[in-house]
Amino acid sequence: MKNGTPILEVRGITKRFPGGVVALDHVDFEVRAGEVHAILGENGAGKTTLMNILFGVLQPDEGEIYVYGKRVKFRSPLDAMNLGIGMVHQIRKLIPAHTVLENIILGHPKTGTIINMKKAREEVKALCERYGFKIDLDARVWQLSAGEQQLVEILRALYRGAKILILDEPTSVLTPLEIDSFLNSMKSMAKEGIATIPFVTHKLPEVFAISDRITVLRRGKVVKRLETREATMKALAEYMVGREVLFTLEKPKVKIGEEILRVENVSALNDKGVLALKGVSFSIREGEIFGIAGVAGNGQQELAEVIAGLRKPIGGRIFFKGRDITNTSVLERMKMGIGYIPPERLGVGVIGNFSLVDNILMGIYFDPEFSNKGFLNYKKIRDYAKKYISEFEVVAPSIDTKAAHLSGGNLQRLILARVIPRTSKLLIANSPTVGLDIAATEAVRSRILACKEKGMGVLLISEDLDEVLQLSDRVAPIYEGRFVKILSAEEAKKEVVGAMMAGALSGGV
Amino acid sequence: MVYIQLPKLKRERVVVLTGREAVTISILSLVVAFIIFSGFLMLEGASPIEAYGHIFTFAFNPELGLSTTLHRGFFILFSTLAFIVPMSAGLWNIGMEGQFYLGTIGAFAIAYSFPNLHPALLIPLMLIVGALSGAGYGALAGFLRGKLNVNEVVVTLMLNNIAFWLVYLLTVGGPWAGIAESTSRPLPASAHAPIVWNIPFTSFLAIGIAVILYIFLKYSVLGYQIRVLGNSPVVAKHIGINATKITILVMAIGGAIAGLSGYHMWAGDPAFRLIPRPEAYKAIGDLTYWGILIGLICLLNSIATIPFSVFIGSIIVGSTVLVRRLRLPFGLDVLFLGVISLTFVAFQFFHHYRIKRIRRG
Amino acid sequence: MWPFIVRSLEVATILLLAAIGELLNQRSGVLNVGIEGLMLLGAASGFITAMFLGVIPGYIVGMCLGALFGLLHAFFSISLRVNQVVSGMGIWLFAMGFVTYWADRYSGPLPPGVVSIRIYGLSPIFFLAVAVVLIIWFILSKTHLGLKIRSTGENPFAAEVSGVRVIRIRYLCTIIGGALGGLAGAFLSLTYLGTWSHLPTKGLGWIALALVMFSLWRPLILLGGALLFGFVWQFAISPETIYAGIPAPLPVLRMLPFIITIILLVIISSERFRRRWWLAKPEALGVPYIKE
Repeated sequence: MKNGTPILEVRGITKRFPGGVVALDHVDFEVRAGEVHAILGENGAGKTTLMNILFGVLQPDEGEIYVYGKRVKFRSPLDAMNLGIGMVHQIRKLIPAHTVLENIILGHPKTGTIINMKKAREEVKALCERYGFKIDLDARVWQLSAGEQQLVEILRALYRGAKILILDEPTSVLTPLEIDSFLNSMKSMAKEGIATIPFVTHKLPEVFAISDRITVLRRGKVVKRLETREATMKALAEYMVGREVLFTLEKPKVKIGEEILRVENVSALNDKGVLALKGVSFSIREGEIFGIAGVAGNGQQELAEVIAGLRKPIGGRIFFKGRDITNTSVLERMKMGIGYIPPERLGVGVIGNFSLVDNILMGIYFDPEFSNKGFLNYKKIRDYAKKYISEFEVVAPSIDTKAAHLSGGNLQRLILARVIPRTSKLLIANSPTVGLDIAATEAVRSRILACKEKGMGVLLISEDLDEVLQLSDRVAPIYEGRFVKILSAEEAKKEVVGAMMAGALSGGV
Repeated sequence: MVYIQLPKLKRERVVVLTGREAVTISILSLVVAFIIFSGFLMLEGASPIEAYGHIFTFAFNPELGLSTTLHRGFFILFSTLAFIVPMSAGLWNIGMEGQFYLGTIGAFAIAYSFPNLHPALLIPLMLIVGALSGAGYGALAGFLRGKLNVNEVVVTLMLNNIAFWLVYLLTVGGPWAGIAESTSRPLPASAHAPIVWNIPFTSFLAIGIAVILYIFLKYSVLGYQIRVLGNSPVVAKHIGINATKITILVMAIGGAIAGLSGYHMWAGDPAFRLIPRPEAYKAIGDLTYWGILIGLICLLNSIATIPFSVFIGSIIVGSTVLVRRLRLPFGLDVLFLGVISLTFVAFQFFHHYRIKRIRRG
Repeated sequence: MWPFIVRSLEVATILLLAAIGELLNQRSGVLNVGIEGLMLLGAASGFITAMFLGVIPGYIVGMCLGALFGLLHAFFSISLRVNQVVSGMGIWLFAMGFVTYWADRYSGPLPPGVVSIRIYGLSPIFFLAVAVVLIIWFILSKTHLGLKIRSTGENPFAAEVSGVRVIRIRYLCTIIGGALGGLAGAFLSLTYLGTWSHLPTKGLGWIALALVMFSLWRPLILLGGALLFGFVWQFAISPETIYAGIPAPLPVLRMLPFIITIILLVIISSERFRRRWWLAKPEALGVPYIKE
């Protein structure tokens, strides 16, 4: 197939969901061989639905799909794969316990009844050489980095002869270095005439680097089609959101007080028993936000858990207001005024099957003020819950609603309403805005700033570099379990921190 | 041409199941079980309506089966409550059978050791030691689970088998063997359970425990911690709940309740007042597994399990007429229970899903 | 000594057949705690068939009934998405009732003409059981089907996007697991016991379930485990064939297999083993697969 000929055409695709939600409203676009055609949109713009339709997971209510000019109907992903459409998922659909090779050949008809590993290996190797990929085929997938796992998904699609590759948020979990090598693989695929369709929400700069053309979705409709060279970042963001985007929060001037938390040389293992945190030291003072920037899996999760008391460190000590708390329990730390906002909501920060009251109760159940001889004083608890649910603007029909019915933003507000009122000294916020829409993100960030204003210390952990830089007084990029350096807000320039969290710059700069 | 348009059905996830829905689902599942069992009855040449009539008139007739119905029903209630407490914390206690045997051993050991004690002293002592024995047995599984992370389902099942042989060791040719060799010696008269309104007083104990558990799980601080752990161990960890402690505790509570049923069963029914031969005590032990199904069907609501347990008791007692009165083959009564368990399981589907009709066009 | 070894190998055969079937369906992600029930059904149907038609039809019918209830468990747990522990328990409770009703009227030994084939006293089914273990080992580790089964048990979502029919694979494995459970039961009643008595499985099914865990889901370790437990079980039943002066009374010996099971479970659950176990245990075991 010559580069530039139309290879995939989508015409008038409409998808309605029960309850009258129109997820896609007459969407059409066209993809040519060898081009990178980015599809941009916010959460809820209909990207996921579109992706699922292109890969045969969902069927459209209206509209047609043409591959090589022929009208096609996908009943399942298998149909899509057979027509040369491959998919690279954001949440990796790989089998962690199996090897790279096993993952690539799984389910392909060519694999045969009895697997000929030697032949399969040669074929995959040839594929790697052709596109210039480097990967150990015998490694287990769980041992691989996010970028390598993505490569496995790409290889799996190519092994099946994919000519059109759908990529879901391809750069969101990659380090800057991995992004470079990812961009290279995109180039080599384009040379071979493979069309790629990255779906993107954040990370607009990468879109500029890779794409030839861009289609912007908003609320299920195509609002703009343009060539990448005609576009500007600001314009794209405006097309996506539909209004001018102002992402500036006023950082309050607060006097930095005494030291609250001191962490000395702390090390910890991750769940797999591998050393993930390798001797980290820092301190946080009253009224200070200490930000940790890093790509997931570099030890920041373990660090947050060690400080919250959820994970036992294997070395080092933690002091809270001068007192050694290395071996105290989660409950004791909660009572001391340490609050933890976990990165996940349902099932970690919230119980969906519990009412809002019972969820709020998670923050105060141990407080004798709310119980009498071992029995809960529900009248007091309800008053307390009512107060903070309204103060933190949790939108719900009543305080007896089950939390499972709430949206992501409201769930996070509920967690804040549970944690923040009981936190007097130190707040640990782990990825507090991940997956939230713009309004909820702003609400969460202003709550964190309010904590600072009240004189609490805040440990902010986020993969969103902009968030860390905007809110923090000091920033520590973390890489492979170590702080690269601790930077003041002035020193923390985006380029510098970005390079440090990718391991490209050492602390000596 | 006439087209018959079949309704297009779709399953939809149920986020939260209400109590009323749960009751409807259980009744429907019973209806289906009755229909299926009718097939077996007809196969044996019996009229289903007549047979069901016999079953329930026998089970609920105060002159005939009512007191046995209630006795067996409350025995199952003990098992159900013993299942509910650990399940509220997310643990599968499949060990009610073993805990019941241990409770039996504890109670009988006291009765044989102090036969001359005054009943007002002896009976509470039997209950307490029975409960403690059961609690210890439950706590053993709880300890293995909470401290060493050993799968509680398999451990409790193994403990059941061990306890079975323990009772066997004591009764069949053992130190407690009676004249009949394979049963135990009869209990001293001082150990017999006082009968109140034709049922042993331990029945009221079961009801009392059900009510207390309901309040305990719903309104106490500890009950709240148990529920959090049961809904999400991860959340429990995040809010400082000591999972190990609670795991051992709930298994011990469950074991204690199941242990009490040892006294209730043997000292409460005038037909026993001893440990019968192994097949017979095993058959009673097998009834404890009903606790699992009843507990789940009632969504772990301990008060709702009271009528359910009694109902199953009525089937257990009533369906014996099929064999004894209607001269139908042996085992048809247990088959009825089997059919009900199968439909209960199948209807668990509706605890998670609802069938919706999709309108066309 | 030889009769004792033969008897132990027969118990091992029962455990092997039941456990390898369970291993297969667990590798595909379906937990069936109702093996005891499947064995009862296989034992009863096999016994009754054999009374009228002979031993070999007995095995076949036992296997078929096991497969049928494997299918039922698959339907409950895969299609209806009922909790797998509950479904297995339900099938076991049903089997207890049904088998009591159906087979207890035939209590007693098989008719004189109905005998199992034996070579030097040993049933060919023993070799069949070993062969089945080896075949399942081969399928799981060397074939594409095996890769699909393992993938389904590890991560059904990943398997599905690779074109694996998750539901179909799980049904297949659960039905085969049921069939092997049924065959194990038929072997128990026809060859090992040769007579029918009330609920004859006596906890062997639960041991088989635990064996799958000890084996870390590996067929070859399972083979060793089944031989060991076959020996222990038989020793507990007739210790006098080994050594007449065993001081422990019979019930204590009968507890032995269950006690050993608990001890082994504790060992493999320990921190050191757990690391290894996590890699071995099918990640999606017991979790219903819900597309969407």
